[in-house]
Amino acid sequence: MTALVDVANLVKVYPDGTRAVDDVSFDVQEGEIFGFLGPNGAGKTTAIRILVTLLPMTSGTARVGGYNVDRDPNAVRRLIGYTGQFIGIDVDLTGRENLMLQGRLHGMTVADARVRADGLLEVMGLLEVADKRAGAFSGGMRRRLDVAEALVHGPRLVFLDEPTTGLDPQTRLAVWRYLEELNTAGATIFLTTQYMEEADRLCGRLAIIDHGRIVATGTPNGLKAEIGGEVVTITLQDDVGVEAIERAVRALADFPGAGEPTAFDRSIALPVRDAGRSLSDLIRRLDEAGVEIARLTLSTPTLDEVFLRHTGERMRVEETASRPHSSMHMARRRIAR
Amino acid sequence: MITESIIIFQRNLKKIVRIPMLLFFSLFQPMLWLLLFTQIFQKMGDFPQFRAQGFSSYLQFFAPSVLTMTVLTSAFQSGMGMVTDLEQGMLDKFLISPIHRSSVLLGKVLADATRMLLQGVLVLVVALLMGARIHTGFVGFIVMLAVAALFGVAWAGLSNIVALRTRNSEMTMMVGILLTFPLLFLSTSMMPTALLPSWLETVTRFNPVSYVIDTGRAFMNFRYDWTQLGKTLAVIAITGALTLSGATRAFRKATS
Repeated sequence: MTALVDVANLVKVYPDGTRAVDDVSFDVQEGEIFGFLGPNGAGKTTAIRILVTLLPMTSGTARVGGYNVDRDPNAVRRLIGYTGQFIGIDVDLTGRENLMLQGRLHGMTVADARVRADGLLEVMGLLEVADKRAGAFSGGMRRRLDVAEALVHGPRLVFLDEPTTGLDPQTRLAVWRYLEELNTAGATIFLTTQYMEEADRLCGRLAIIDHGRIVATGTPNGLKAEIGGEVVTITLQDDVGVEAIERAVRALADFPGAGEPTAFDRSIALPVRDAGRSLSDLIRRLDEAGVEIARLTLSTPTLDEVFLRHTGERMRVEETASRPHSSMHMARRRIAR
Repeated sequence: MITESIIIFQRNLKKIVRIPMLLFFSLFQPMLWLLLFTQIFQKMGDFPQFRAQGFSSYLQFFAPSVLTMTVLTSAFQSGMGMVTDLEQGMLDKFLISPIHRSSVLLGKVLADATRMLLQGVLVLVVALLMGARIHTGFVGFIVMLAVAALFGVAWAGLSNIVALRTRNSEMTMMVGILLTFPLLFLSTSMMPTALLPSWLETVTRFNPVSYVIDTGRAFMNFRYDWTQLGKTLAVIAITGALTLSGATRAFRKATS
């Protein structure tokens, strides 16, 4: 395997001083699905816009297919497809015309573009509405058309910036299936997401990104295994103070066969190697410390725990797509600057 | 680059054809002027002082002004289209493809020119139906249209500068409206040069709009005035060089 994307010490500082991407290094191998998992504002979109040659970097190096994105942008553009966080379709053109336009801009002949567009329209379930104005499409249809546009020229590497944000569960599943098929057919996929289950299901490897920094990289299972065998989540009574939470954390700090406890709100997450054996000890210890337990749950670690462990916070998931159109545009403008 | 420009030109053209409203939206005001102003000032066409300038009617005098006004109004639609492309993410789609950057602007300018030609034809045809007559015939018709469209393209450059700097379609429209009327009033559009107060006469000489109108007027009323045409083309070239290079700069800045 060779690195299709190779990023070292990438930094992006916006004119207002925001360090949106702060010394990020990673690579994406040919043939894999690689993901950036992180909350809104983590720097995912900035990073992806630099890689697809839409935004200049402040410092560092970024190579796609061996080409420097800042020195050889057109070589990079020939290799990639890109779907932005905000849908980019021409509402005055039909679905088919939108696809063909992208194909033509990528150097396809009219005939090739038409064949390819028809195939994608079918896969995306848009064949029936192919000749309707894209402006009349529903949100889900627009997103599917947008994803199709990124694929029309058969790129080796596809960048998808939050491809399923704002989609209904059914459509989300359809997009996932298609991305998996696409990957099986040989395309490398780089996606960003704020959905744990999406990263878990699709990504061979992922990087967790928060406040512009990569805090962890690995396979979903590897990252979860780092946390430990299982996670015990202890929730305290509603009315307990900070002091009680600290007391509980202290009591669990050196618990045998367990990782580091992480407190969040009134809950403490503790990764344990063998919950079956240590559960009664754990309860006794909390009891001795005078901590009253409201609820105790046992789970295998999720990426949420991974995120919590590395950032000390739960993922802050916001539904960007449910925001009204105008604020989406404002957000885009901020990004574009 | 030529193929790419043509692809983008075709796309922009499709948008124009698909929403004919846009074509007529900017035609509404010029048509109103053409129909009503020529009525209001009809009798002025009979004043001896006016007659002495060689115009057989106010319509004969005023039609080239309306043609110019049409392209001025139309030019600012160009910037508004640019804002839409920015907002809808279409510009990103263009920029992500391996095309020459300038073909995005070139394709747009070509489509703008086509729209202006179409609108210009409609305005001139209405004027002819109202009884206007082009002294130099078909050649004059083509010269008038071409000069108007060329000037419109130069002016569209300015609109795109505003659009790319503000990224706001209301602002782009406002600037367009605010600039169009002073430019028209401070030109030879309403009165023959000889009948203007001398300060205004001086101002009109520095207004590119006057040159465009005077050329149309010469070909419509008098003769094949190649000297006037040459002067006007030079003025348009200077204006266009300024606005279009500014638009290219603004475009680079907005897309990097």
